[in-house]
This record gives sequence, structure tokens and C-alpha cells, in this order.
Amino acid sequence: MTGEKNMKRLALVCSVLCLAHCATGGSETGSRAPTRAPAVLVDPPARTGVPTLLIAMPSSPNFVEVRKSLVSEVQKNFNIHTFVVGPETKAADLAAAIQAANPACVVLMNNATINLYYQVQTSNPTTKTPPAVLLMASFVEEAQARLRGATGIAYEVPGVTAFVHLRSVISTPVNRVGVIYRPPFRAFIQRQTALAAKEHVELISVSVPNDVTADGLREVLHKLARKSKVDAVWMLNDNGLVRDAEFVDDTWRSELSDSKMPLIVGVPNLVEPNSPLGTLAVVPDHEALGLQAANLLFDLSENDWRVEAHPVELPLSVKTVVDVKQVRANFGLRADALKHIDRALE
Amino acid sequence: MTFLRDPRRPLRQPLAWFLLGLGLVQPYQPSPRAMAQGAKPVVHVFLQLDAKSSIVEKTLQQHLPELGIVVFGRFRDFEEGLTNAHPDAVLSIAPVLEQRGKASSLQGQRGGKSTEPYVLASVNQLLEGSLAGKTIGVVDLLGHDGTQTFLGNLLKTKDIKIKRVAKIEDLLPLLEFSAADGIVLPSSMLGRLLERTRLVIKTRELPGGPVGLPAVAVLNPAVRDVVVRSFQGLDVPTKRLLGVDTWSIP
Repeated sequence: MTGEKNMKRLALVCSVLCLAHCATGGSETGSRAPTRAPAVLVDPPARTGVPTLLIAMPSSPNFVEVRKSLVSEVQKNFNIHTFVVGPETKAADLAAAIQAANPACVVLMNNATINLYYQVQTSNPTTKTPPAVLLMASFVEEAQARLRGATGIAYEVPGVTAFVHLRSVISTPVNRVGVIYRPPFRAFIQRQTALAAKEHVELISVSVPNDVTADGLREVLHKLARKSKVDAVWMLNDNGLVRDAEFVDDTWRSELSDSKMPLIVGVPNLVEPNSPLGTLAVVPDHEALGLQAANLLFDLSENDWRVEAHPVELPLSVKTVVDVKQVRANFGLRADALKHIDRALE
Repeated sequence: MTFLRDPRRPLRQPLAWFLLGLGLVQPYQPSPRAMAQGAKPVVHVFLQLDAKSSIVEKTLQQHLPELGIVVFGRFRDFEEGLTNAHPDAVLSIAPVLEQRGKASSLQGQRGGKSTEPYVLASVNQLLEGSLAGKTIGVVDLLGHDGTQTFLGNLLKTKDIKIKRVAKIEDLLPLLEFSAADGIVLPSSMLGRLLERTRLVIKTRELPGGPVGLPAVAVLNPAVRDVVVRSFQGLDVPTKRLLGVDTWSIP
């Protein structure tokens, strides 16, 4: 399979992710000229003799938040040049921005931006491009493999992080967690299984077809919740499994509402005491992600920007939303749990 | 923080609704009210504690009614607040106050001591011998350079790579992901770490410690009395939340 085909496949996979709100975040930038940063993205004054970071990103809030944190950390050491990517941005625009800024490194936020950079590299295969740090994109590990000179931080919250948080909130045991996944997530699930085992959590994973129907998903959920003796279920951010609210009602809610099974979700809106479904939502902490990215950039700069030697990192920091009413009613709330929850809903 | 959806309505919105949701949990943002709380002296708080910043802030606001309390969860916000909002007093640990050249007016004590050991925690086996080249995780207390110096002094070596994290709870993933060889934390935070994880954690006390417990530096002499009196009047649970059991005047 060629690199281009792989990138297309990756783009297809990314398009099915709920996390694609970041992967497609560029569409929120409207008709803004690609090189004109909005007021919130004003770069610090440039200094001579200081290396430059070029940050290519959409201008929607989550990206702006990560950039703000990142810039506050690195601005003493680097000049910052922000390049806003929108739906109208072409690879040539990005190439021109890189040429003008001559950065020591580029920070690429979201899959659309990464795809542009891939086009820059493939259209000029012999031209040297700066090392790249990939952020806020789906399946960063796969994107890294297609690019020359890239590393980054994965955006998907590792299951083990969610499981440890669930353990610190509910009194009932969390030793076996069920998860349903479609084929594009197979490698991701394999990595999650190994990570979960470190915290003595057995991940019970069940594969379903890409085009799984509501009936098919309900059947798998039924078996998982009633027969697999799992202590909790983890819902992936995959819109093949979470297509819309009606689909969620017909599958997840109809199967799990009676089972009294803790459900871990990746979006806070599924945690709602008045319409109970998710028990715990675990989402990326964008401000902390900026700090982690800054650490990564400092590491790379101290190692002559040898990005290939630096594996993709996992995100370290999350925020949690808990349906405390559901927890109290069904699983027991651990003492002091409320001190450690970012948002407790009752 | 608000949610877009009326909570009484069932889920009947398209996928875009989900996608918007991911952005709804915003990180803690200190409000720009440090100079806007009337006559109350404003105290900025920056500590590593076993509770979310919002909980600490709410608790302190309830128990220190004569003071305006702003709790910062992250160093950069704290630093920005100090620069821009000019608080009347600061509550933090000694290295943070010393970095800013602030002398403590009130020193926290626990078990009769004004300091506590810091520990180096690792998985399965103790990190002994030379730490040269090791990657060590630590909460970002003093920024990039300051934290590097602080950790170097604690570990008695400069040849380490540090990974700063924003919150104390973010240290555990460094061990779970094998992203660090060890983590450094106050000994008082070890219990919470061990509660959360099933990793086999080994610890050793650091040679460069101990480190000062939380202390209050009064920056505006005109409010010294009310600040000192207020903190000295805190009840036992609130002092425990701050990691102290009494205050002394240095």
C-alpha cells in the first residue's frame, strides 16, 4: 500500500471518530485568510537569534487553548509563528509559511493540517522539511509513520487512565472492563489491553463489523453486559458506534440502563443525571496538553530535533465528569471522591 | 461551565452535538478578580494538594471570609496572577516563595515540623545509584528552568531529564506509560498515589530534602494582621486540607 493510500485510509478512519471534532476543526475557521491569525492568536514579538516554532492549527477554541498553554511555556526559548489552517488552506500555503518562517520545528494540530504537511512532503520528496510535532489528531501513531521526521502526542485518552479514575470514584470493583470496537481500532485496542493490564484491569474486547447495525450492537452489548462478567463498559469515541442520539438510545441506553453497569464515555454530554447513561466521562485536559507539548519540544531541541528517536507520547492529563447521582445509587461513592472530580453532576 | 443541552430533554441531537461536547469541560481558569473584591485582602494560593483547585478555593473562601482567595492549579497561571493582579499575600511552599523573593510571615507545620521529605517513586524496584540520564517526573512548581533546578537540588544531580506535569495526579500516568523512570512527590502525597494504583511502587527519600511546608508571605504590610489572624483561625479540617496542622510566625 502506498503512503498516499495509507494517508487516505487514515483520513477515512479519522473521519469516523467523534474526536474528529478536532480532526476537522479547521472547518470552523470559515473564510478566514489562512495566514491571518485572529486576535487571540497574536504571536509574541520575534527576537533575533532565537529559533522559531511554526504552529499550524485551526482557530477553534480547544486548539487555541492548547496553543496558549504551549506558547506560555516556550516563548522564552522560541519565537512563535502561528499559521491558521482553514478549509481553504492549500499545501502550497503551508509550504510558503514554512519557507517564510524557516522554523526549527513545526507543530501541526489536527488531521487536516497533518494531511497538508504530508502533501508538502510528498510534492517535494527531496526537499528537506522541518521536524514536526503532531497534536490533537486521531491516531497520531499512524500519521507519524507516514511522515518524514515527526513525533507527537496521541489525542485519545488511554483506557487505563479512565479505569483508574473510575476506581477512585466508585466502591464496586473495576477488574474487568468490556469494550466494543470496529476493525480500524484493532491496534488501538491491543495497546489499551497491555496498558490496562499494568493496573490489573482485564480488557474484554469484542470486535464488530464496520457497518454494525443497531440490532447487532445491541446483541453484543447484551452479551458483554450480562454474560462476560465485566465490571464496567468503556464506550469508544467512534461514531460508528455512537452515530447519533437516537442510535445511542436504541443501543447503549436500552441495553445498559437495566444492567446497572458503570459506563465510561469520552464526551461529557453523555453524563447526565436526568437522563442517565454515562457514569464517568474522561476528556483531554487541553491546558495540560500544552505543557506536555512544551516538554516534548524542549526534549527535542536538546536532542538536535531527532524526532524519529522519540516515540509518540500518550496524553498525561484528563478532566473528569461524573454522574454522582448514578454512582451513589448503583455503585457507591468512595470517600473523598468528590475532591478529585472536575465536575460532579447530581 | 454550562452544558448546551437542556438536561430535561432526551438525547435527540445529531452528532455535531456530541462533538461540541468535548470542548465543554474547560480547564480551571482563575478569575481576574484579584483586585476586584472590595476591601478584602487578596491571597493567591498555589499548592500541590490532594484535592482539585476548585474545591480548595471554595473551602478557603468559606473559612477565610475576611480574605479574597484565588487558588491556582498551575504554575503559569499563578505566575501570571502574581505579575498582573498584585495579590496582598501568597500561600505556597518555600521554594516557590523563595524563587519570587518573598519571605514567609506564617509558616505551616505538621507534626511539629515545618518541612517534609520528598520521595522518589518508581515501579517494581528502587531507583538507586546514579540517576544520570534518567527521566524523572515532577509537578511543575517553578517553570521549566526553576523546576529543573529544584529537582536537581533534591536529587543531587543535574544530569536528569525532567518531565513536568500540570497536576499531581498526572504523575501516575508517567509510571503507567513507562514515560518516566521515576517520579518525585511530597511524602504526604504518597498515600493518595498508592490508593490509586496497583503498580508496585517503591520509594526512597531524597537526599536534597526536606522541603518547606506551605507558608504565607504577606506582600502588603498593611493587611498583615488580618491575613495572619485569618489563617491562624482556620479549623482543623481546613488546615489538614492545606497539609498543615498549625501555623508559626518565623
